Amino acid sequence: MSTSRCRRFEKAVSRGEEAVAALEKHAAECANCRESLRLWKEIPEAAPSLAKSWQSPHLFPGIARALAAERAKARDASPARRRRFAWVPAAAAAALFVLSMVGLYVFKPGESARDPLARPSFGKEPLLGDETLKEVETAETNYLSSIEKLSVLAGPRMANPDSAILVGYREKLQLLDSAIGDLRGQLEGNRFNTHLRKELLAMYQEKKRTLEDVVKEVKS
Amino acid sequence: MHVGESLEDRSRDHFFAKEGVLSESDPPGDAQDEEARLLEGCRAGDVSAFERLYELHGSRMKSVAANLLGNVADAEDAVQESFLKIYRGAAAFRGAARLSTWIYRVLVNTCYDLLRRRRRRPLEVDSEAASRREPELAAPVSDHPLRLSLEVCVKDLDPRRRAAFVLFDVEGFTHREVGDMLGVPEGTSRALLFEARRDLQRLLARRGVVSGSRA
Repeated sequence: MSTSRCRRFEKAVSRGEEAVAALEKHAAECANCRESLRLWKEIPEAAPSLAKSWQSPHLFPGIARALAAERAKARDASPARRRRFAWVPAAAAAALFVLSMVGLYVFKPGESARDPLARPSFGKEPLLGDETLKEVETAETNYLSSIEKLSVLAGPRMANPDSAILVGYREKLQLLDSAIGDLRGQLEGNRFNTHLRKELLAMYQEKKRTLEDVVKEVKS
Repeated sequence: MHVGESLEDRSRDHFFAKEGVLSESDPPGDAQDEEARLLEGCRAGDVSAFERLYELHGSRMKSVAANLLGNVADAEDAVQESFLKIYRGAAAFRGAARLSTWIYRVLVNTCYDLLRRRRRRPLEVDSEAASRREPELAAPVSDHPLRLSLEVCVKDLDPRRRAAFVLFDVEGFTHREVGDMLGVPEGTSRALLFEARRDLQRLLARRGVVSGSRA
C-alpha cells in the first residue's frame, strides 16, 4: 500500500518545524502521515500530564538542617582559615616591596646613566635611553673639542718627538686613536650600547689627559 | 512535621496555579520586589527566605527533577543539593537572570551532575535507589491517554532535549526562560524542543503507539 510506505512525515520532521506544518494538505489524503501528524500534535498536549506532584514533608526540614550545617561549617572554618592564611597578605606585601626595589634598582636612570664613567662595568647593561644618549653624546663632543684644542698645542712636538718620554706619549696616543677608531666603528651600528659608550668616553678621557700631560711636558 | 506539611500544601497550591505567576518572562513589580527580598535573604543565609523560595518553587522543582532523573528519590536529593548550591552561590549571583530562572538553572545542572554520577557508578546508585522507599505520587492534574507511553519514552531522550521538553512542554516555561535555564539562546531552546518532540514521535511510533491510545 502506498500510504503505509509514505515517508513524507519522516522527511518533513528531519527538515524542521515548518516542513511538518506544511504537511497538513498531504496528510488529508495520506492516512499514514495523518496518523503521524496527529501523534506529533498530541505530544505537547499530553506533556503537561507528566508533571509530578507528591508530598515530601521531610524535604524542607532536611534542607533547613543542611543549610544550618553549611552555615556552621563556614562559621567554624573561617577564623581558623583566617589564622592559617594571615601571613599571606604580609608575605604578598613584602614580595611586592622587594620586587619594587629590584625594579627601581634595575630600571632607574641613576648615576651610571648620567655619568657613565662614574661606575664603569663590563657586564650586561640595559640600553641607553634617548635622553641619556643625548647626554653622553654631549660629553663626547666636549671631550673631542678639548682634545682638538690640546692636539693643536701638542701637534708640532709630537710630529718630531725629541725625547723618550714624548715618543712614549706618541705611541700611547696612537694606541688610543686606534682603540677610539675601533669603538666608533662598533658604535655606528649600536648607538645605544651603554658599555661601548662608556669605553669610548674612557678613551676620550684618557686621550685628553695624555694630551694635557704632553702639553705640560712641552712647556716645561 | 508540621512546617514541612504546611509548606508542601502551600507549594502544591502554588504549583497548580503556576501558569498565572511563573510563566511570565517579565514579572510584575511586586514579584520583582519579592525576588529582590528573597535574594537578599538567601545571601544572608536567612532560613525564612529559603522557606519562601521552597514554598514558591519547591513542587515545580521536584517535578522538573523527577522528570529529568526518572525517580522521585533522586529528585528530592537534587532539590536539596540545589538549595545548598543556591545558598553558596547567592552572593555571587549578579541578577543577570531572574532569581526564579536561576534556581531552575542550578537545579538542571544539579540533575545533569547526578546523571553523570549515575553513569559512572550505575550499580552503586541502582542499589542505593532500590533501598529507598518511593513516595506515593499524587494523581496527575490532567491525565492523557499518552501519558504512560510518553513517560517511558522521555527517559530515553538525550538529557538536553529532555530538559527542553520537560521545561517547555511539561512545566510551561517560555523559550526565553528555558534558554536562560539551560544556558543557551532562545533559538537553541526551540531547536532542542523540536528535536525532543521528533525523537519522542519516533520512540512512540516504534512502540506501536497510535494517537489517542496507550501502548
